[in-house]
Amino acid sequence: MKNRNSDLIRRGRRREDLKAWLIMLPGILLMTFFVWEPLLESIRMSLYKTENVELVKFIGLKNFISVMGKSNFTQALTNTFAYTFWSLLIGFVLPILLAMLVGETVRGKGFFRTAAYLPNMLPGLAVIILWSAFFSGEKSGVLNILLAKLGVPTQTYLTRANLVIPIIITIATWKGAGATALIYMAGMASVNPELYEAAAIDGASVWQRVVHILLPSIKKLAGTLLILQIISVFQIMYEPMVLTKGGPDNASLSLMQLMWQYAFGGSMDYGKASAVAVIVTAILLVMTAVYSYFNNKESDWD
Amino acid sequence: MSKLPRTGVIRDYDMHSLSVRIGYGVIYGLCLVMTVFALFPLLWVVLAGFKDLKEFVSSTSLLPRSFDLAPFAKTWSQLGLGKNYLNSLISVIGSVVCALIFNGLLGYGIAILRPKGCGVIKRLVLLSLLVPATISIVPLFMNIQRLKLGNSFLPLWLSYGANAMYVVLFIQFFESLPYSMIEASRIDGCSPLQTFFHIVLPLSKPICAVVSIFAINAAWSDFLLPYLVLRGGELQTVMVRLFVFSTEQTVNADTMMRSVVFSMIPPIILFVIFQKQLTENAASAGIKG
Repeated sequence: MKNRNSDLIRRGRRREDLKAWLIMLPGILLMTFFVWEPLLESIRMSLYKTENVELVKFIGLKNFISVMGKSNFTQALTNTFAYTFWSLLIGFVLPILLAMLVGETVRGKGFFRTAAYLPNMLPGLAVIILWSAFFSGEKSGVLNILLAKLGVPTQTYLTRANLVIPIIITIATWKGAGATALIYMAGMASVNPELYEAAAIDGASVWQRVVHILLPSIKKLAGTLLILQIISVFQIMYEPMVLTKGGPDNASLSLMQLMWQYAFGGSMDYGKASAVAVIVTAILLVMTAVYSYFNNKESDWD
Repeated sequence: MSKLPRTGVIRDYDMHSLSVRIGYGVIYGLCLVMTVFALFPLLWVVLAGFKDLKEFVSSTSLLPRSFDLAPFAKTWSQLGLGKNYLNSLISVIGSVVCALIFNGLLGYGIAILRPKGCGVIKRLVLLSLLVPATISIVPLFMNIQRLKLGNSFLPLWLSYGANAMYVVLFIQFFESLPYSMIEASRIDGCSPLQTFFHIVLPLSKPICAVVSIFAINAAWSDFLLPYLVLRGGELQTVMVRLFVFSTEQTVNADTMMRSVVFSMIPPIILFVIFQKQLTENAASAGIKG
């Protein structure tokens, strides 16, 4: 009797499991089609000679050798690391500062939060085109108009190899820093206010409270956002594509942009494009692994 | 001064000190500078839209000569942006529906139904969060071509049904729901699907709102996959048109700026309506849309 019962329950469970899987199935199929399969496919494709959408011949690592052998690859790789460097320099501390500032305000706090977040809502493509008018080298470029008021002669910006990457990062920071600041603000708001009061009673100055209470409270969050920022800036693509087409003389060409050029820039060389994608993925995986290694090590100490 | 208590590091009792008061003034000053930086480019692009081509390329004044809306009307009709707006609207609506249903059901399965073996799917979804979407755009585009789905909204809609971030948001929310209610509906004889539509969804309005806002904005702003799928056809969205303008340079600079203004209007309207949800959920709903 007991056995039959548990048999029935087990059969019932199995039927319920089946129903649950059926409910999840559409989502799983879509994830497979749009995310998981393309990821594996790009590894496979990078090993093939392709013609249009056909995989013609297995050629081992030849795509990689040919891609990496070209000077535009070395340039794109260096540039991509330069993007990352400038993004950390300009875009990492700024949101923390903004969060600290806006977090201290009382009147107008809602307004400041809104103003900070607004650029993040705007379409990325529209933002790039809008800023291209700011950095135009003509006399009618917005920055030149403003500088002329200070008596500075007309300058060029996007045609200077050493300026173009910092400019693109500045634009990306303009769009994203406010939204990141709101994330930091939420993290800072989780500090128990009694801590500040206790510290104040013990005679801690405002600055000491910032250094010893506020900043430690966002340390972990900052680590997470740092790695996310690196991952996202490493894939920078449409910004230089639209703003400079990778120029001047490939000075702003990024790795992902190189991938796009191979695939959709006329030659339709999907195999080589996939090789670039695999290289980018590999670099990102290594960086994520290094991050989580140090992250775990650090939390061991806590 | 204000009656609201200070909630940051600086407390009301600190305001006795002159240096803290000066510092507090500086903080407000810097916040105003930030606001100007955030809003000035937007204001400028609208002003620039009033200029005609000659004025746009030669004038060294930030203000236009006249505030006549005629150039906007001309750009709108010349480029036939009405049709692109309609296309964008169709693309956005389908994307939001897919984002809610498919990611919601997957999240429901992982968070509440938990069939045997669903841990693998959960881990795969979490891993996909780390993988950049554009990295596999080439094979994805090839898949779409192989299935002859080019020049159709279908692949774009469905791509929003496969968003790891939305799934994770749903999972987190569903896990916080009172399990007793779901259990009760099951005992009352509801099928899992009935439970989802009659119990879970009505309780999940906040997260559905967040995912919808993100999906609306993302679908409106998206142009890489839409460009590949829709280029050259009748179904081009506003952003695809803008992308084509910018890469092929077929329109004048002043027309370009007016197109930029047109492409920004819907997101700004969305922002004005939902600014509270957006600025409050930006953190919990994580890392940028």
